[in-house]
Amino acid sequence: MRVILHDLGNEYRELIETKCDRSVEADGKYAPCQGCFGCWTKHPAGCFMKDSLQQVCRIIGQADELIIITENLYGGYSADIKNVLDRSIGTSTPFSTYRGRQMHHTLRYGMHDLWKVIVYGDITEKEKETFRYMAGRNAVNDGFERSEVLFIEDLSGLEELL
Amino acid sequence: MKTVLINCSPKKRFCASAYFLFLEKLFLNGEKVTEKLRTPGDHERILEQLKDADAAVFAVPLYVDGIPSHVLRFMEKMEIFCRENDLHMNVYCIANNGFIEGKQNEPLMQCFDNFCARADLKWGGGVGIGGGVMLNVTRILFAVEIALLVLNTVLSAINTGNFFPKEAWISFGENAALLLFFNLGVLFYLGRMGACIRKGTFSDKKYTRILLPSFVFIIFADIFFIIISVFEGGIFRGWLSKKEYGRP
Repeated sequence: MRVILHDLGNEYRELIETKCDRSVEADGKYAPCQGCFGCWTKHPAGCFMKDSLQQVCRIIGQADELIIITENLYGGYSADIKNVLDRSIGTSTPFSTYRGRQMHHTLRYGMHDLWKVIVYGDITEKEKETFRYMAGRNAVNDGFERSEVLFIEDLSGLEELL
Repeated sequence: MKTVLINCSPKKRFCASAYFLFLEKLFLNGEKVTEKLRTPGDHERILEQLKDADAAVFAVPLYVDGIPSHVLRFMEKMEIFCRENDLHMNVYCIANNGFIEGKQNEPLMQCFDNFCARADLKWGGGVGIGGGVMLNVTRILFAVEIALLVLNTVLSAINTGNFFPKEAWISFGENAALLLFFNLGVLFYLGRMGACIRKGTFSDKKYTRILLPSFVFIIFADIFFIIISVFEGGIFRGWLSKKEYGRP
């Protein structure tokens, strides 16, 4: 399954939906993660907060290809996108294992293929380095075989990258 | 000198970030203000404290290899606030994660470095800590050890009139030394960073962890989650299964 997670708003909804099997719009109308681990220990792969992200890990967990379109913020994801990722840790289980010679959690949905990030907005060279490193770490942590980060000056060429 | 210490854990109590800030304060002098950052309602209060601060110390849990979203929203506001008020304080970071490797906090540290560049603040470096949750448990165990010592002393006094039960004190000493050993790496690097905060200098990025072998740590972590999952019931609700969207 191809999943696109984006913070672009309504204007791009039609384009996004033609390019994937499932999309998640990071519109900021949801609560931040409370760090309770309930999505591991109480109601697996679900959140106690009854908003649009209550079962979002069940979408992201089923993605073979996850494409994240995000504005740059300090070399990382925008707060709206990060909020969705923070609420998605139910894609893994509470059990631990070694992956990439470091400790990580075992995967509820098994291995995935591609963690691809398309970054727009003002960004420095140092922030680009951070983003590449961050996406690589995310791929290992979430069980994706490979990662790719693309930087675009504006959104006019977005369609070609999807 | 004024240092504002910001606890960025979304948890209301018993969070690892509060523990590490408690330890960091042992190595600081001057005015120390501790603030809790959980909701947007906390933003204005913390920004007011930062107006005359010489240093800000963020204690942050690692979420998905980066800074938690509720902290990012504050940092966006802080960037604007510091520029508008011409503030250039030193910024330090204590990052902790549930995995054992402190190095896993590196992307978070880089984001703080980038934030300081954007906000024209001085990046002071930080300490990345692995096994934060378990280190936090050691302080609870230490409190339990003290309670047991007091109980044994009282029982000994009542039963034998001896106010210094030797075996109880030896047992307390052994267990307290073991708990202290687990924390030695953290104490060393927080102490080192505290010296830099006092002098207003760059402390670089340092990584440490609970002083336990990795495979032992994983066994304890798994046991911890099994116990919690039994009590909270998740173990009976498809604990490890591939859950489908829209289904229970």
